[in-house]
Amino acid sequence: MSDEQSEFEKFVSKFRQDAELNPDFQAIMRFVEQILSNGALERYFRREGKMSDSVVALPVLKSKLRLYCLRLTDKILILGNGDVKRSRAYEEDDTLQGYVIDLQRFERLLKQEVRAGNVEITEKEILTDKTFEV
Amino acid sequence: MRTANISLQEIFNEIPVEKREETRLSFAISNRIAALMQERGLNKKQFAEALGKRPNEITRWLSGEHNFTISTLAMLSTFFGKSIINV
Repeated sequence: MSDEQSEFEKFVSKFRQDAELNPDFQAIMRFVEQILSNGALERYFRREGKMSDSVVALPVLKSKLRLYCLRLTDKILILGNGDVKRSRAYEEDDTLQGYVIDLQRFERLLKQEVRAGNVEITEKEILTDKTFEV
Repeated sequence: MRTANISLQEIFNEIPVEKREETRLSFAISNRIAALMQERGLNKKQFAEALGKRPNEITRWLSGEHNFTISTLAMLSTFFGKSIINV
């Protein structure tokens, strides 16, 4: 992704200064802070996406916001983008579905490059000397 | 390679300290419950059945996001025969 901002930075830019949604944003960031200390354990996330992918969301409990992530291992979490949750399921909202699809696409690319020997994913690191366009 | 433009620590520092502490405690309690469940060999479904709760309530407890009441903590501590928090 060659944008100036990463997907997570776009999420932060949208809600950091938003008076109405800031409490929900800060709640997600409090969970991120604890996940950094405790690890990206499965039970800290809401399962999203398909059974075959690693897309998860924060928070687990009720919130006006959703942040989508890729949980590759207990030690590797890729923070994506997110937005206001306006529908019951992400599939009913084009914006949210777009963020989930971006992460699914990124994971497919990662797996493809792992198979090609260009990327190695260990428990703690993604090892590669290449950059990829999603 | 591009480095991040934002500092997570700066974002965390904007959050009231007591709210961060509340979340730290909630995660610690959920970790304690998960450890006690493992010690007893209970999965989420078995644990829910033993307590007469729905599995989604256990999901909430284990998420690190639940605001536990003293009554729930007392019930859990009685169930496991061990303290959940040390006061």
